[in-house]
Amino acid sequence: MAYIDYYKILGVDKSASPEDVKKAYKKLARKYHPDLNPNDPDAHRKFQEINEANEVLSDPEKRKKYDQYGENWKHADEFEAQQQQYRQYQSQNGQGGGTYWSTSGDGSEFSDFFEQMFGGMGGRSSYSSRGSHGFRGQDYTTELQVSLTEAAKTHKQIITVNGKNLRITIPAGITNGQTIKLKGQGGPGVNGGPAGDLYITFHIPEDSRFKRVGDDLYITAPLNLYTAILGGEQIVETMDGKVKLKVNPGTQNNSKVRLKGKGFPVYKEDGKFGDLIVTYSIEIPTNLTDKQKELFREIQSLN
Amino acid sequence: MQTDLIIVSEYCQICHIEPSFLYMLEKGGLIEIDTVEGESYLPASQLYDVERYTRMYYDLSINVEGIDAIHHLLDRIKSMQQEINHLKSKLRLYETGNHESIADL
Repeated sequence: MAYIDYYKILGVDKSASPEDVKKAYKKLARKYHPDLNPNDPDAHRKFQEINEANEVLSDPEKRKKYDQYGENWKHADEFEAQQQQYRQYQSQNGQGGGTYWSTSGDGSEFSDFFEQMFGGMGGRSSYSSRGSHGFRGQDYTTELQVSLTEAAKTHKQIITVNGKNLRITIPAGITNGQTIKLKGQGGPGVNGGPAGDLYITFHIPEDSRFKRVGDDLYITAPLNLYTAILGGEQIVETMDGKVKLKVNPGTQNNSKVRLKGKGFPVYKEDGKFGDLIVTYSIEIPTNLTDKQKELFREIQSLN
Repeated sequence: MQTDLIIVSEYCQICHIEPSFLYMLEKGGLIEIDTVEGESYLPASQLYDVERYTRMYYDLSINVEGIDAIHHLLDRIKSMQQEINHLKSKLRLYETGNHESIADL
């Protein structure tokens, strides 16, 4: 567990006044606050760091302890014992007791260093300006992988978040990287505050048959040479079964046909679907018999 | 369809915020407040945004004009991110070489 230089994190001198600390914290918080940097884990981590630095440097008691021990923080327990004796002495002599802070559940995940040094002192919320009301619980984020086929149907799935099983409904048409919010399924609130929310980000791996672009699907269908030349019918796979397509005579390799409404369901728009685009890949016959080769030569000579 | 409404004065009391802040957000076009028989209500669907704006205003000292600007910029980032994802998918498809004209059936 490494020593953390809180002054460096906030970019202030050791002699910085409480006003300087507050100013530096506010400036950095405006830069890295998760509300201003959605889906940015680096900013989130940085915000936790500056929050923790502010937690220590804006609190005279914590700052004193931090300054006194600095890199020798492992001796902090002895300091704590001394402080305890000092507080008891003050109490017996009719002087004011220590300051007790409510624990914040709002974005305050502290480092091991902090917990080790100040664990017994609790965490004071950086958001205390609105009074000592309950704090909203922490938001949780998780990732869920679903196949393209699963994403094409509205279905229920059970996920486990922090040891709790949740049955969720995944609407058809969800996209890769999309995040949905489950209100109140995050961390519990503190002091009667509301629970946080759960954010689930979906990952949909590439499908071996279909490629998805928006709500449209693309598939490559093999087509034999004779059907391509003479025309005929071809069975093609769609998301909901096979369909028979009419193939025009003289169909070229890589030519495409669009099957309207046979693509991917549109998210939260019942009955609306994208298109399926079929690319024909003409298969040239190999291992021809002598007779077949002869017939091809005959065709060649006719041209 | 049913809309859940929250009484503004009660919400402000519980969350220790000034009602005038919510009215400033409304004036700035960031939220909507419904008034029924003289009582102001906040649609529950806007709670998430209100919480975000409250943190920006009270914790980060950003004024309502700043919040409005941030709101627009975040919206732009979101739509650009969606466009990037869409273009990436398209690029993957084009890299396979299947990009000729498409005949409609």
